[in-house]
Parts: sequence; C-alpha cells; structure tokens
Amino acid sequence: MSDPIIHLENVSRIYDTGKVQVPALVDVDLSIARGEFVAIIGPSGSGKSTMMHILGCLDRPTAGRYVLDGTPVDELNDDALAALRSRSIGFVFQSYNLLPRTSALENVATPLAYQGVSRRERVARAQAALERLGLGDRMRHEPTELSGGQQQRVGIARALVTEPAILLADEPTGNLDSRAGNEVIGIFHELHAAGRTIVLITHDPDVAAVADRQVHIRDGRIAA
Amino acid sequence: MKLTDLFGLALSRLGTGKLRTGLTMLGVIIGVASVVALVSIGEGATSGINSRLQGLGTNLLSVTPGATTTGATRGAFGSATTLTIEDATALTTQPDIAGVAPELSSSHLIVAGSLNETTTVIGTTPAYPLVFAYDMWQGSFLTQASVDHGLRVAVLGNTTATNLGLGASSVGSTVYISGLPFDVVGIMQPKGGTGFVSPDDEVLIPVTTARNLFVGTDSVRAIGVSVTSSRQMTAATAEITTALDQRHGIGASGTPDFTITSQTQLLSTVGSITTLLTVLLAGIASISLLVGGIGIMNIMLVSVRERTHEIGIRKAIGARGRDVLLQFLFEALMISVSGGLIGIVIGLAATAVIALFAGWAFAFNPITVVVSVVFSLIIGVIFGVWPASQAARLDPVVALSYE
Repeated sequence: MSDPIIHLENVSRIYDTGKVQVPALVDVDLSIARGEFVAIIGPSGSGKSTMMHILGCLDRPTAGRYVLDGTPVDELNDDALAALRSRSIGFVFQSYNLLPRTSALENVATPLAYQGVSRRERVARAQAALERLGLGDRMRHEPTELSGGQQQRVGIARALVTEPAILLADEPTGNLDSRAGNEVIGIFHELHAAGRTIVLITHDPDVAAVADRQVHIRDGRIAA
Repeated sequence: MKLTDLFGLALSRLGTGKLRTGLTMLGVIIGVASVVALVSIGEGATSGINSRLQGLGTNLLSVTPGATTTGATRGAFGSATTLTIEDATALTTQPDIAGVAPELSSSHLIVAGSLNETTTVIGTTPAYPLVFAYDMWQGSFLTQASVDHGLRVAVLGNTTATNLGLGASSVGSTVYISGLPFDVVGIMQPKGGTGFVSPDDEVLIPVTTARNLFVGTDSVRAIGVSVTSSRQMTAATAEITTALDQRHGIGASGTPDFTITSQTQLLSTVGSITTLLTVLLAGIASISLLVGGIGIMNIMLVSVRERTHEIGIRKAIGARGRDVLLQFLFEALMISVSGGLIGIVIGLAATAVIALFAGWAFAFNPITVVVSVVFSLIIGVIFGVWPASQAARLDPVVALSYE
C-alpha cells in the first residue's frame, strides 16, 4: 500500500471520566488504500463507535498518529478539523440524521453551503446526487414524509454530494428492513465499483461480508 | 457558510415555531414601542411648551394686582384693583422696558352683519403686538392717537374675525360691541399655540375707549411688559417694583400690592421638568426592553438545548464553530430587530393618537427610530451571543449522540 488514504499508527483513545480512565481504543494500526471497501466489525462496546468518531474526525486520538488523505489530523484545531470533515468525509448514519423540517434537497445541499458553494451550484449538485439515488421525485419532501429506505438514500446523497475522499457508514442498514437494507448495500457496491473508498462500520457479519476486507475489533484492539 | 446563507437559515427558522417566536418578539416590541412612544410624547410636550414660549412674546413680564387683605381675610389672587392705566403709563419711561401693554378686559357680545359671538374685549395700547408677539394680517394695529382720543376702533383676533365671517376685505367695516358701533382697523395673524383659551379669540380696542364705555374704572386686569433684552429681566423687575412701590406709597418694609411674574421663566422650568420626566420614563421603558432581551436569551438557550442533535449533524457535515455561532446569533438578531421595527411602528402610532388627543403637532424624530433599531440590534447581540457560543462550543460527538 504505497498511498493509503487512511493511516492509523498506534492510535489510542482513552476517556478520562475523572476517577477512572476508560480505554476505548488501544494501539490501533490500520491502513486503508484508495478505492478499498473495508468493513470494521465488532460487537457493541468493542470500540467501533470510537473508531468511527476518530476516522470521521469528530474526535481526536489521545495518543498515536492519524493521517487522512495526506493530512495529519492530530495537529489540527477545531475549525481545521471541521474543514477537513467537510472536504474529505461523507457520513452515513444508522438513524439517517437528516435535518428536521428541511426538504431532501436542502438536506443534500447543506454540506455544500458549509463549503461556501453558491446557491445555484448547490441546488444543481444536490439535484444530481438525489437523481443518481433515484429520488428525483422526492426532492421537496421533508424527512418525516419519506420511508426509512428513502431517508437513508437522502443520507447517502448528502454524503456523496461533496465528492469526499471516503464514505464512512455507521450501521447504515441497522434501522432498515431487509429489502431496503439490501438496496443500500447494493448502492454501496455500485459506489465501490465506481472507485469510491468506503469504510463500513457494523456489528452484523452478513453486512460486513459485502466488503473487500474485514477488520475485526474487540475490546478496543484490532483482532487478527 | 456565506453570511447570506446563514441569514436565510435564520429566517426560515423563524417560520417554524411561530407562536414561540412571536411571544419572544413581543417582549422586544413592548420595550421598543414604549421607549419610542414615551420619547416622542416627551418631545411633543416639550415642543408644545417651546411654541407657547415663543408665542408669549419676547422677554415678557406680567404685572398683576395683588390680593386684597381685609382684616385677617386674604382675598383671591388678583382681586385687588390697585393697578391702573396710569401705572402702566408710568412704566413706559423705565430704561429697560421696551413696551407696556395694559389689559382692561371685559366680555361682550360682538355682532357683525348676521353673525355674532361673545368674546373678550381688551382695552390696550399700541405696544400690545410687541409685548404679546402678535403680527398683523390685515390693516394696522391701534394707534397712539386712537388711544389719546378714545376712538371707537377695533382690531380682531384671527379666530374672532373668522367666527364673525370677516376676511381680508373687512378692514373698514363695522362691528357692534354690546350694541356700540366700532370701525375694524385690522385683523391679526393667527398665533395658534396650545391651551384651552385661544390667543386668537379676542377683540382689541383703545384702553381709554374700554374704560369710558365698558369698564368704568381705571383698574386693569394685568399689565404686560416687554423687556429690552433677556439679560435685563432682573433689572426691569427691580425698576417696576421701585416705580410701583413709589406710586402706591409702599415703603421698603411694606407688602407690595402687585405681583410680577415672568411666564417665560415659568414655562422654561416646566419645559425642563418635562424633559426630566421624558428621560425618566424612557429609562423605565428601557427596563422592559432589557426584560425583552432576557426573554430572547432564555428562548435561545432552550433552542440550543432542543437542537443539540441538529448542531451535531451540522458539525458532522462540515459546519465550523463560527457557522453555528452565526446561525444562532442571526436568529436572535432576527427576533430582536423585527421586534424592534414592529415596536417602532406601534410606538409611533401610539404617539400619533396621543398627539391627536392632546392637540400637539405629531413630532416624528428619525433619530428615535435609528436609535431604537441600533438598540434592538445591540440587545440581540448581547443576549444572543452567549447561547450561540454555547451551541458553537458543543462537542460534535456528544451533540450527535444527544437525543
């Protein structure tokens, strides 16, 4: 792996609750290459949520080194971290996390607004992203007016609209019935085929099976 | 995020939860409206007083008879009949006095053609327009000759002329005062002014004519004195006192049987009290504005708490702290400024209604509006910035997992 898009070296994340120190991640080494489809799999409490937060630049490691797309993350301040998230990460959440009382189109366009893209271009790109996910006729609908599968597709469109370096999906099928879940997995397959780097975090081995590579995490450590 | 986008975001947010936004805004509306109304009303009252001040005549001193004292019983103020036409004549020679106008008044029925009116008839001298600041509209005022010879000539106040159907061409016509014919020699400009007694509803005739035909005595109701300049008011007062004491035989230790009042001073005192009251009331109104601002802060804190999860989502998809801060700050500003604008409109409307009933000119002061807008902006910033910075500082991981 000459040019890893994600590179973690001895990364630890320890929560300091004041009385006790809780290690959530311990000495994690991980490299993910451009265009790879990786599943991080582990039971609840294994540290995979912490892993997602670190990989997604929502949180910083307490020790170790994390380089995302050539940028060392641990040296950045909050604003630079936000800019890096905006540029390089597309999040897909289990509970979709769409903005309430906001149309599908506005939801998808919002990440571009935070990049300072003009309104005209935002709308055009958001429309294109929604149409690509088969939601061309649902753009004016608010999240409460969409089914779970549709909401998750809006979430994927929102993650993709900024053309991020990696797509970071946290239990994307967790709230969906099997048909909608399979649809979402199918979308991930297509994206992967188109060359996108995808990191999928799940507890479900069946879901993880769709990825090229599975990274097992247990008690905050990567299991061989 | 661009400022225009943040602005649009705040604007669209106001549309949701209209009742809450409206109630929060109401606090600002009431505060701004009361400040604007009270300041404007204060200004209206002050300008009313100022116009009366100017209407009174320049450097006016009023000499009125004192109260009679019979044994231990003191009569009503001005009940003495000690001031005479001769007293007035004597004052004209004093160095600091520019004009002296005695007022020998009585009430009479005035008839002109088929119209009639009962009004005050004042016997006076040619100094009257100078002393009481009247201008002539048609014809001329009473001459010294008409006073010397006790002629039956009359000058009409503007309202009186209108009531009697007399206009620009009526100089030279005849009016009947209690049945006696008088030649109209002039009609005065309206003075306007405020108060219950119009200064334009009166008939002026030579003082001698009034004494001979209507009053029958030399006692005048008052003597108006115009002082040469405002700096000489004290000197003129002393001159009047000395002259009248001497004429009435009152010694240095005696009680004078007349009173000298400077209405100019009286009214400027009233004016400064009005200003003080305005400031005081505006200060009290500002407290309600402060309460309105605290209302904004309260609702913004609740809003930040309620939308913690949304803030987490926004941060995950690329919002910087600054973006979140400005989003919430703009929401607070939107509430305070729109509340301020509505408050200004309501305040001015209230002022207009009150001015209508009080008979003031409606004083619209653009400075009040500008200050109110700036003030509500400041309120929005002061009370919005803390909740907004709370939102901006939220940890994205914590905010995302907040339900």
